[in-house]
Amino acid sequence: MIVVDGTLKRRLGAWLLAAVGVLGTFLLVEAYTSAQRAADRAFDSQLEAASLTIAEAIQWQDGQPVVEIPAAAFQILATDQQERVFYTLLDTGGREVTGNLDGVVTDALREAAHTEPVWRFVDYHGTPIRLYGRELKSAGWDAVEPVQIWVGHTLSGRDALARDLFVRALTRFLAMVILTGLLMWLAIRTALRPVRRLRQLIRQRDADDISPLNAQVPGELYDMAETLNALFERQREGRDALLRFTADASHQLKTPLAGLQSTSELALQSTRPDDWRQALQTVHDSSARTSRLAAQLLSLARLRHADEGSPGRIDLAAVLRDTVMEWAERDDAQHHDLGLAPLPDSPADIQGEPWSLREMIGNLIDNALRYTPAGSEITLSLHRETDAVTLTIEDNGPGVSRDLLDRLHQPFERGGRQDTEGSGLGLAIVDSIAHRHQATLTVYSTPGHGLRVCVRFPLLTEEARP
Amino acid sequence: MKLAFLISLLLICQMPSMLMAQARTPLHVEAALDLQVVEPLLDKFRQAHPDIDLQYEDNSTLKVDEQAREAKPAPDVVISSAMPWQMARVNEGLAQRLDSEAARKWPKWAKWRDEVFGFTFEPIVTVYRLELARHMMPPSTHADLHTLLKTHQDLLKGRVTTYSPSGSGVGYTLFQQDARYSPRFWDLVAAMGAADVSLENNTRDMLKGLTEGTYWVGYNLLGSYAMHWARSHPDIIVQIPQDYSLVMMRMAFIHRDAPHPAAARTFMNFLLSEAGQKTLAGSTPLFSVLPDVIGPYTAQRLRDQVGDQLYPIPINASLLAFVDPMRRDAFMKRWNREIKILSP
Repeated sequence: MIVVDGTLKRRLGAWLLAAVGVLGTFLLVEAYTSAQRAADRAFDSQLEAASLTIAEAIQWQDGQPVVEIPAAAFQILATDQQERVFYTLLDTGGREVTGNLDGVVTDALREAAHTEPVWRFVDYHGTPIRLYGRELKSAGWDAVEPVQIWVGHTLSGRDALARDLFVRALTRFLAMVILTGLLMWLAIRTALRPVRRLRQLIRQRDADDISPLNAQVPGELYDMAETLNALFERQREGRDALLRFTADASHQLKTPLAGLQSTSELALQSTRPDDWRQALQTVHDSSARTSRLAAQLLSLARLRHADEGSPGRIDLAAVLRDTVMEWAERDDAQHHDLGLAPLPDSPADIQGEPWSLREMIGNLIDNALRYTPAGSEITLSLHRETDAVTLTIEDNGPGVSRDLLDRLHQPFERGGRQDTEGSGLGLAIVDSIAHRHQATLTVYSTPGHGLRVCVRFPLLTEEARP
Repeated sequence: MKLAFLISLLLICQMPSMLMAQARTPLHVEAALDLQVVEPLLDKFRQAHPDIDLQYEDNSTLKVDEQAREAKPAPDVVISSAMPWQMARVNEGLAQRLDSEAARKWPKWAKWRDEVFGFTFEPIVTVYRLELARHMMPPSTHADLHTLLKTHQDLLKGRVTTYSPSGSGVGYTLFQQDARYSPRFWDLVAAMGAADVSLENNTRDMLKGLTEGTYWVGYNLLGSYAMHWARSHPDIIVQIPQDYSLVMMRMAFIHRDAPHPAAARTFMNFLLSEAGQKTLAGSTPLFSVLPDVIGPYTAQRLRDQVGDQLYPIPINASLLAFVDPMRRDAFMKRWNREIKILSP
């Protein structure tokens, strides 16, 4: 089931918004403070210029500083924003020689200006003003006492300039955000184009087309395309296996049917009732084998394609005991020494289906009976470990050569033997059932010393007991 | 039909005044501007705003300044020709901002901070008696006056008058401005000193002396008053100096602590309005500042007559230098030195 969980565009948009929000806050705070600083710098220099102009006009007469305040100084102070202007000239004792700043310049301010020029925002009867003060070591014929010049003005020009600068920064920022959003949108469209192309490519394929994809994809999509190709590859393998199986099965069924046909033809040509009887016996045996073969094929097909059943908790020891008992009574087993090693005391509970486990054990026993000479020993045992239980079947027959071991579990493989009546499906069925139970199938063999098949099941833990 | 319309219009116009008759808002205008000169303007205002009870106090510039600083309750509107003092009061924060259409439209060079407005355009003139012309070529420039004082010292001795820089704010401002424009101004001061110049505190006294024959020539008189006077005194000639002529502007502001700020704003808006300026240009000799107002007394017409040598005293922060006590002291020291320099 495919659930639509938002869109990439919306997700990227949200990220952009978050980035713009966080960055924007920082940028705008920075823009605001720097606009303030820039405005202050610009207007502070006016104060400095006015202060210089006044300083130029200071003269000393009879030991007293005298200044004919230049009108230009006020023009500079007022700026073109028409600020209210404030100024004062203080003598060495802090007395106002002239000016209109009564009481605003405190002793602390004078002390500060004594060492270096002072910039301050102060309050003048309820109006905030910017004040600049510096000490002037003026030279005269009869006095060298320092005087202080203080100038100031109101803040409307600074505020207006700062506001102007900030609004400009804000406008630039907004334009940038809009542009970024637009570019992002374009980028998303462009970036998603390969995905659309891939989708189209897949949509255009025929239902049974399982050839690898042939597409140009960006690096990020390579994994996905590669996974798709792997899926197609598995599908192809599955289909090939199915075809092979069908072909093999047909072939296997064809041989006994051809035998039946030739036997019955020979019998029809004879006139002797003995031959008929002989032929009928052959036909009976052959059809029994064929029917068993068909049953095994059915069983394998069922195992491979059946849905996962609902396996329950089952004691493997009990199943093993029952199955071995059942087989020991059959006619087929009368020429072999079929035995069961002592079972472990504690139950060996696994997750599984009784019918398929019985089928598996049966197939293992059947295999052993068929591929060993009469009189061979066949022993089944169960070995319990902490988290697994291993079912083992051993015989002392001829065994299988090492290079055949890996192929034994494939259908229609008879371990290089043509002298038996086996179909070659036994181990394949065992393998399928083991696979269903998450068990591992291992085959050990030493040529001349028999074959040992182990199936290792994961144990159900005590806690998982329902 | 037309008559009925007019009558109804009249009724509508009368209605507010009938309603407001019981509760008229008082408005106190403290001004250094002669009542008889400005009367037509005030009448027009009273006519347009019958709901406002206008009290107009005419005082000297120094008295007006004192009232603006100290009076309790404060006057609503302060008008004065002592430009630096008006500027200083506004700089102190004694004015409140006028935010109106008329204020915004007012020429930039005639206002400061939208708080104080120069609403008249009064040239500074030289005035002489017709009698003077019989003895010599009447002066048309500052240099001419200097030459006359030098060449006809005996004839003009005791017959020259001008403002007292210590007794009149207007006079002091004009001399400061003169001194800024030309260093030769001090030669003129010395020459006037040599001619035993009589220093008066206002234009009216100088005009009286001229009419009576005490003075033959007066320097730096307010053109508005002089022209008004000359219309009824044919022996008085008003000369706008041809080299440069200062222009003084009456400055008006609404007091920060105005008890009736709404009425004050109404009055200011009227002063700056087209109607107010039209009255100024048509019925008073105060000259309108607005360039598009038409009438006998407008800045534009004056410029057309005199040319480019009109130098309005700028309404900006530089005026503040004139009220700096130390600069004033220095100026007065120099004045007193120069005026005696040629005396025996």
